[in-house]
Amino acid sequence: MSNELIARNSGTPDPVSLVPDRLTTREFLAFTMANESYGLPLSAVREILRPLPVTEVPRADANVLGIISVRGRITTVIDLRKRLNLPAQPVDKLSRFLLVDSGSEVLGLLVDQVLQVHRFNDDEIEVAAVVGGDLSEYVLGVGRPRAPKSSSREKESAISDQDDILILLDPGPLLKK
Amino acid sequence: MAGSDDRDRLREEFLAEAQEIIESLSRDLLMLDQAQKGDGPIDPDLINEVFRGVHTLKGIAGMFGYHQLGAVAHALEDLLDDVRLGRVQISAEVLDVLFEGVENFGRMLSEDTGSEGDGVNLGQYAVSIDRVAAQSDHAPDPLDSFELDPAVLSVLTEYEEHRLRTNIEQGVHLFRLKVHFSLASIDSALEELKNRAKPLAEIITYLPSMDGSDGDSIDLEVLLASGATLEALAEALGQDSRQLTLVPRSGATPAPPPRQASPTTRPPAMPARDTHAPPAAPPRASADVSLEQRSLRSVANTVRVDIRKLDHLMNLVGELAIIRSAVGRVTDRLRGHPALRKLGLELHRVNRGFERRLEELQDGILDVRMVPLGQLFDKLARIVRQVAREHEKDVHLVVTGAETELDKLIVEELSDPLMHIIRNAIDHGIESPKVREIAGKSSTGTLALNAYQKGNHVLIEIEDDGQGMNEQLLLETAVRKGLLTKDSSTELSREEILNLIFTPGFSTRSQITDTSGRGVGMDVVKTNISRLGGIIDAQSELGTGTKFTITLPVTLAIISALLMRIGGRHYALPITSVQEAISLDPLTLRTVEGREVITLRGSTLPVCRLADLFRLQRTEPAPEKQFVVVSAVGQRRVGFVVDDLDGQQDIVIKPLGPSLQNVRGFAGATDLGDQRVALVLDAPGLLEETLVGLDRTTSLGARA
Repeated sequence: MSNELIARNSGTPDPVSLVPDRLTTREFLAFTMANESYGLPLSAVREILRPLPVTEVPRADANVLGIISVRGRITTVIDLRKRLNLPAQPVDKLSRFLLVDSGSEVLGLLVDQVLQVHRFNDDEIEVAAVVGGDLSEYVLGVGRPRAPKSSSREKESAISDQDDILILLDPGPLLKK
Repeated sequence: MAGSDDRDRLREEFLAEAQEIIESLSRDLLMLDQAQKGDGPIDPDLINEVFRGVHTLKGIAGMFGYHQLGAVAHALEDLLDDVRLGRVQISAEVLDVLFEGVENFGRMLSEDTGSEGDGVNLGQYAVSIDRVAAQSDHAPDPLDSFELDPAVLSVLTEYEEHRLRTNIEQGVHLFRLKVHFSLASIDSALEELKNRAKPLAEIITYLPSMDGSDGDSIDLEVLLASGATLEALAEALGQDSRQLTLVPRSGATPAPPPRQASPTTRPPAMPARDTHAPPAAPPRASADVSLEQRSLRSVANTVRVDIRKLDHLMNLVGELAIIRSAVGRVTDRLRGHPALRKLGLELHRVNRGFERRLEELQDGILDVRMVPLGQLFDKLARIVRQVAREHEKDVHLVVTGAETELDKLIVEELSDPLMHIIRNAIDHGIESPKVREIAGKSSTGTLALNAYQKGNHVLIEIEDDGQGMNEQLLLETAVRKGLLTKDSSTELSREEILNLIFTPGFSTRSQITDTSGRGVGMDVVKTNISRLGGIIDAQSELGTGTKFTITLPVTLAIISALLMRIGGRHYALPITSVQEAISLDPLTLRTVEGREVITLRGSTLPVCRLADLFRLQRTEPAPEKQFVVVSAVGQRRVGFVVDDLDGQQDIVIKPLGPSLQNVRGFAGATDLGDQRVALVLDAPGLLEETLVGLDRTTSLGARA
C-alpha cells in the first residue's frame, strides 16, 4: 500500500509519503448516500462528473443505472444506492458520478453528494468487523475524521459539523459482478 | 516508466516481425510441399528463402531474449543448411518437421510472456529434427569422399563441377596429373594430351600450378576421371606414372573442410555456422549485411501499425462527424434567420466541403484496416495439410478469392472458427481414399475455400466433397442428447435439421479424435461468428458433400444504421440487417401458437415487440401508429415493432463494458452527439432469440 502511494506521488514530492511505514497514510474521497458518509480510496477515483443523461440498458442487472459516453468511451454507471440496498432517490443538482477503477474496468457510481478528501493513518481505521451485515465484504473499515481544519468548503457542508464516521469502501469487491 | 515502455514497444516490434517471418515461412513451405509432391524440380531459391527466414528469426529471437525460440530456430537452420546443400533430401518427413517448426514458433510467440514455450514439447521436437537430420549420413556429399584440394575445388566452373559429380556418381577413379609444358607449344601439347586421354578418361580441369613455373614454361595440374587403372592410364597418356597419382578416397568420416567449396553452385554468402556458439547469438554483422539490406528494402514501403491506433483515429472521425452535424444544426438556424441567411448559406457550403473530406478520411482509415483473407488462408492451408496427414486422407485444397479484403479485427477473430470447420471437414467429411474409391469418387478429396464480396458483406464458403451429413443420424443424436423431443423431431425441415449441429452439446462422433469431436465445436463457431455480426449456414447432400457459408460485414468499425425510437429511447440497428421498414397495420396481425405474425406480401413474418422484449417502462402509452422494421440475417427474418423511425446515420459502434457482457440483444452502443448514447441492437442475436422455439415447431423462421 505504501509503495502504491509513493509511486503515485513520485512526481510531486508529498510530505505524506515521507512518513515512516508504520504510519502509512491513506486518502479517501468522502461522499454521502442516504445521510450516511462513505469513503472510497482516492487512488481508485479517476474523475468526478456532474450527472449526464444516462441511457438505460434493458435486461441489465438492477444495480445498473445505464451507460454514458465519457469522451467517446462507453461507461457503465452503477446506482450505488441500489448496490448498497439503500432507498432510491432521484438524481438532483448535488448528485455526482464518480468514475472509479474497479480493477477490470472504469465504472461510474451515482452518489448523492461529494464532500472532501480525508487522510487516515492506518491505525486510525477501525477494521471492518465493526460493521455488521451484508456490508462487510466490501467495507475496508471505518474512519473517524480528525477535527476539521478551517477549510471554507467544510464550513459550508452541514455534515462536517457532526461528529461523523466514514464507512470506507473497497472498490474491488464493491464493483465485482 | 519510459524504460519499460520502450521494452514493451521493442517486444511488440519483435512479435510483429517474427509473425511476419513465420507467415512467409509458412507460404514458402507450402510451395515446397507442392513441389515435393509434384515430383517437379525443387527450386533451390525457395529452400534458401526458408533458410534465410529461419536464420533471421534466430537472430532477432536472440536479440530479444527469446532463447528457446532461438534454439529451435538454430536447430532448424542446421537442418535447412543440410537440405540446401543437398545433404538431406527434401521429403514429406522433412517437411513435416519444418511445418511443425513453424507451428511451434507460432505457439511460442503466442505464449510469449515469461513462461515461454511451456505448452510446446520442445524436447520431443528436437528429437524429430535430429531424426530427419540423421538422414544426412545416408546421403553424404559425394565430393566429400575424395581428398580433393579445396583450392582446386573452389575454382571449378559450374560445368566442371557438374562433370566431376557425374563422374563420381558413376563410380570412377579420380587422378591427378602433373605436366610441364613449354609456353610456346602449350596449345598443341594440351590438344595431344586430350586426344590421348579421351578413350580412357575425361579431363575435368587443368590448372596452372605456382611452383616450377618460369618465364618459358608452365606446370599444369590436370584432374582426370577414369575407370581405368593407374598403370593403364599412365601408359595411354604416355606419361611418367610418377607424375600421375590416384586421388585417394577419404576414410569413413566424411571430410568436412571441402564443404564451403565451389561457390558457383551454392547459394551466395551465408554466414558461417558455428555449432558451438550460443544458440541465440544475434546475426553477425559482417556476414549478414546483404541479408539485412534485403529485408530492409522489402519492407521499406509498408508500415506496421497497432490496430488500436487505427481505432483511435476512427473514434476521432466519429467525433468529427458529430461536430459536423452540430455545425449543420447551427447552419440551419442561421439560414432560418432572415438577416443571417446569406451567412448561413456560406457556412452550409463550407460544411458540405468539410463533410466530403471527412468521408474521404473515413474511407481512407477503413481502407487501411482492410487486409486480404490470403494471410488467413495460408495459415489454413497449413492446417489442411497437417490434419490430412494425421488422418491419412488425401485432400486437395482449392482456394479462390484470397485477395478479398476484410477488417483486420474480423480476420483475426475468424481464424479459430474457420480452423474448426476445416478440421471437421477433413475429419468427419472427407472419406479415406479407400472408401472414396469404393464410392466411385476420386481418391483425393477436394476442400474448397472461397471468398467473395457481395454488397456490404463478405461471404466465405468452405465446401468439401465428402460424405455429407446424415439427417437421420443428426436427428437421432439430437433426441438421444435430449436437445429435441422425439415428436418435435418429425416436424423439422431439412435446413433446421442441419442447423442442429450448431446446438450446444451436439456431436455425432462417439469417438473423440485428436482434432474434432469434442462436441464443443460448431456452437462455439456459431457464437464467435455472430459476435462479429455474421451468420453461418450449412448445406449438405448425403454422399456428395457439405458446404458452410459464412456471411460477414466488411467492417465493424463504422456502419450505417437505422435510428429508431421505442418508448422514448433511441436505438440503432445496423442497416446491413434491415430489409425494409413498413407501417404496422394492426389488421394484418395474427397469432400463431401464441406468437404474433404478420403477412407481408404473401409470406408470414414473425414479429417481435421490442418494448415488451426489453420490458421498457412507458411514460406514455404506445403511439397508435407504429412501425415494423423487417430485419433479415441470412435466411431468417423477423419484424421488429418500434414506435418511430429517426432516419439513417453513420455510427461508430463501441463495445459495452465488461460488466454488461452478459446482457443479450446489444452489439454495443454509439454516441449520437449532444451527449446522447444509443444502444446498437444485435440483429443476429435478437433474431435468434425471437425465433428460438419457433424453429423447432414450424418453419416460420425460414424464408420458404
